[in-house]
Amino acid sequence: MSYKLDWAPIWNNRDLIIEGFVTTVELSALGLVLALAIGVIVGTAGSTNSRILRSGSAAYVELMRNTPLLVHMYIWYVALAFLQLPPFMCAVFGLALYSGAYVAEIVRSGIGAVPQGQRLVALATGLTSAQALLLVVYPQALRMVTPSLASICSQLIKDSSLASVITVAELTYQATAIEGQTFRTFEVYITISLLYLLLVTIVTYGLLLVPGARDDLEQRVSDA
Amino acid sequence: MPEVILKNLPFLLMGLRLTAEIAFVSIIGGTVLGVLVGVVRYFRVPVLAQVADIYIIFVRGTPLLVVLFICYFGFPTLLGYQARAYYAAVLGFILFIAAYLAEDIRAGLRTVRPGLVQAALATGLARAQVIRLVVLPIALRNVIPTFFNQYVRLFKFTSVASVIGVNELTGSAMLVNGREFAPIPIIGFIALTYLVCCFVISMVGRLLYSRLAVRA
Repeated sequence: MSYKLDWAPIWNNRDLIIEGFVTTVELSALGLVLALAIGVIVGTAGSTNSRILRSGSAAYVELMRNTPLLVHMYIWYVALAFLQLPPFMCAVFGLALYSGAYVAEIVRSGIGAVPQGQRLVALATGLTSAQALLLVVYPQALRMVTPSLASICSQLIKDSSLASVITVAELTYQATAIEGQTFRTFEVYITISLLYLLLVTIVTYGLLLVPGARDDLEQRVSDA
Repeated sequence: MPEVILKNLPFLLMGLRLTAEIAFVSIIGGTVLGVLVGVVRYFRVPVLAQVADIYIIFVRGTPLLVVLFICYFGFPTLLGYQARAYYAAVLGFILFIAAYLAEDIRAGLRTVRPGLVQAALATGLARAQVIRLVVLPIALRNVIPTFFNQYVRLFKFTSVASVIGVNELTGSAMLVNGREFAPIPIIGFIALTYLVCCFVISMVGRLLYSRLAVRA
């Protein structure tokens, strides 16, 4: 092996890496919020009794989920270039529409796992159907699907690396730039993959803590 | 079909063929590696199991694009060899998908009741035979749905190979677009192509599962 590992150039370029890391966090956070919004709407539509809403939801899920994310990004960045969206927003939309389909399936299965009786009882107590959904069905459904949502979330963070292809200066993009200047190929990619691992681990464990908080809430509700 | 697609269809189909080829080789390779890693972890083979754990944590925490960069730029500089984009991509896909499959097969291995393994051992089969003849046939049949989900995912992810210069479907579409500049029909066409292919893979999975699932 003639190649000698040298980590100094990575450390010297830490500003770029931090900048990229922050952009990755922003990109993922925005993408995730939109994906959750899309997923909850489409997933709820998929679990209604209306056939039109159900098939609309299924069509959305199949259409979005069976197209590569890279193609989603190219759609916003290249095919819809006349919209003149900044690359960052193209990446956010691509990520959100793509991951939203996965979230929708999870939300749908979560709602399906809440016994029908829960909703009926809620309606019988005089809640409107929106209230029944918001106050009775969603809290139970979302708690059940938190682990799946956590895994979607970690996938979304990793998928955000594809934004580098459409020139968003996130972590992978900065790594490529540093590699181009320093030729410390192996070191730089190992560094960023460890950073992704760190981010994914923190977010996943953070999300898995949520049900605990909710159990506490449940306790307080039952005490009241 | 728009004229620009018809005119470039042979080129795009060549890209599709390459996509299919990469996906096929990666699926086979990834499944073999994934099952091996899964079995090593299941039986807690010393040293190997720890290596497998680290491999899985590392790959599952890393974006595919970075895995491909490591295979195309990282390993070759580290070990001093010339990489070809095609082989680097296939290597990357295999390493990537195997980590997920290895994790998925755990669920399948759990469906094999311990009594069955003990019974097989009691009949005098060697451990390797028990794995090959008893454990894996049951486990593999039960993980068909999750495995095929991963295959669909991999098929979509083959598009990322275009970033390291493999002219598969997405790569050739972007080349065609560079010449013709008609992004909407071209990207629309490949999106539909991926859609159809993913559908077919899912259907195959569902068909296989309905035929082969082991009902307890």
